[in-house]
Amino acid sequence: MSHLTRLLVAVAAFLVLAWIPAGLDVGLKFDAALSLVWGFGILSLVLLTGYVGQVSLCQATFAGVGAYAAGMIVNTFHAGYVVGIVVGVVAAFALGLLVGLPALRLRGITLAIVTLGIALVFDKYVFQDHLFDWFTGGSAGWRVDGADLLGLRADSSSHLLAAYEVLLALFILTSLLMVNLHQSGAGRRFRAIRDSELAASTMGVSLTRYKLLAFGLSAAIAGLGGSFYPLVAGSVSPQPFWVFTSLQLAAIAVLMGVRYVPAAALGGFFLAFVPDILTRNGHGTFLGRYSYDISYDWFSLALGVLLIVQLILLPDGVWGDIHTRAAKMWSGLRHRTERQVSLA
Amino acid sequence: MSEFAAYTVIGLSLGAIFALAALGIVLIYRATGVLNFAHGAMGMFSTFVAWQVFYRWEPSWLPGWALTAIAVLVGLAFAVVLGLVLELAVFQWVRTRPPITKAVITIGVLLALQSAASLIWKNNQYHLPIYIAPQTWTFQVAGVPIGANSIVIVMVAIGLAFGLAAYLKFTRMGRAMRAVSDDPVSAALWAVPVGKVGAVSWMLGSFIAAVAGILITPFINFDTTSLTLIIIDALAAALIGGLVSLPLTVLGGFVLGLLETYPSIWIQSLGFSRLIALLVIVGVLIFRAPRGMPVASR
Repeated sequence: MSHLTRLLVAVAAFLVLAWIPAGLDVGLKFDAALSLVWGFGILSLVLLTGYVGQVSLCQATFAGVGAYAAGMIVNTFHAGYVVGIVVGVVAAFALGLLVGLPALRLRGITLAIVTLGIALVFDKYVFQDHLFDWFTGGSAGWRVDGADLLGLRADSSSHLLAAYEVLLALFILTSLLMVNLHQSGAGRRFRAIRDSELAASTMGVSLTRYKLLAFGLSAAIAGLGGSFYPLVAGSVSPQPFWVFTSLQLAAIAVLMGVRYVPAAALGGFFLAFVPDILTRNGHGTFLGRYSYDISYDWFSLALGVLLIVQLILLPDGVWGDIHTRAAKMWSGLRHRTERQVSLA
Repeated sequence: MSEFAAYTVIGLSLGAIFALAALGIVLIYRATGVLNFAHGAMGMFSTFVAWQVFYRWEPSWLPGWALTAIAVLVGLAFAVVLGLVLELAVFQWVRTRPPITKAVITIGVLLALQSAASLIWKNNQYHLPIYIAPQTWTFQVAGVPIGANSIVIVMVAIGLAFGLAAYLKFTRMGRAMRAVSDDPVSAALWAVPVGKVGAVSWMLGSFIAAVAGILITPFINFDTTSLTLIIIDALAAALIGGLVSLPLTVLGGFVLGLLETYPSIWIQSLGFSRLIALLVIVGVLIFRAPRGMPVASR
């Protein structure tokens, strides 16, 4: 795709997606905004794992740091929400660099262990201990009643759509930047590191600089999504950013295809809408006799099973597999018409 | 001083748990090349099966000790079946995949077991622990009371470590496991039954996870998540042993248990021990890269 087509696709996607949730109830509008918050989380994994080949099990932690930083700025310093978002992104970026430091010596499984440890430390200690009340707002967390996003009024109830639209615009913009990054010089160095760190450093790619950059950028992307969370949900608590969310983000990213940007949108949609729709409509009686009640755990259970099945059968993920098959079919089709033309 | 000694007892009991959990991880990693993030979740699920028998069955005609024995046996039997099912349904199909893919699969197993358990036994709800020895049995050693459960757990950890080491060294299956861990392809060429080795490793690993899970219940807040998340402490202990050495793993477990317990003399924080586990992991990984870890990024 050329730059222009890509831009047109992005604008069209924004125009279509921006008004779809307008007719839905508040719960589904919240899901739409939440799907983008987690979409950023998965996008950050596309950069870190898909492009650079680094494993991370603490992306929800980065999102949580963005969320708490934004909440703290708005509540403690009474600054505008835009400032909160900027500080949230910067805080997540800084933490990403910090996590990237041990990653300079580690790769693969060992990096997974360290990042899981980081996710646990933030879940059980930083987000919950009284020592960090200045950052987390104590057990009550931060409340955000509404915000002024550069003239646009947004809050968690009647102006939820505005927050969603700003998130959507930022998500599509970030996705475009990610696709461009993939083909830029930095993107080539990232991919070189993914394929072989040894070969990349032999060719003069600075592992220190690019691995740290990858961790920082990835954390910043996750933090950008997370910094909208207090605005969308009205408050922050540790629960959405606990260690199991990090594991779920990793699971969904791999399930949808961690090398592909559209998989992030797909994954965010899956993570926000499916459990809500299931728990809302998933109760009643089956065949008039067996009553059932689908809780959130069923979603998590299905996610775990789907991840196992996918890794055995479709290693490239759902989007990756669709993508390759569509490309194959398309080239087959073109081949056939060309043959028909030459026969005629 | 007696306070210090009391914390030492707690730390050693906790360390024994970590050691037990880590033993299973090392065993499975050595024999199958799978770093099992779901180890805590597997132990948790089997423990809850035992708990179900222990607290929900309640036959009045059975003496207490017999009920305990039956509950533990059912839990352990379930663990063995769980290990076998995982090997047959999942891990035998991915034997040639890169280590990181296998590790991500275990995250899927973790999520599935965790959510299944919280469906059945409800999440974040307090459950009464399973006492192997009655809680009232305590011994006084130099003025410090030591619970019988603490003694049981330390002895089981040390006993299992030596038992496993002997099993790997002297038995036919143990030799086969070591051969497969060194080089699966050559082992297969020498007619080592690689599939059978995988199945036995998973059954044995799951069994050890269940032993750890059942013994730990009196010492922690017994719910579905905290047993699942003990994985990080177990991984820290396993990394101290380089994911290879069983005696060093047990030693690592005890050291970690003490390191996590002593700060609670001064610091009243439930989450602080996580920070210590993380620091131990990072420290071990930076200064002593374990043997057998994948060198390539994929």
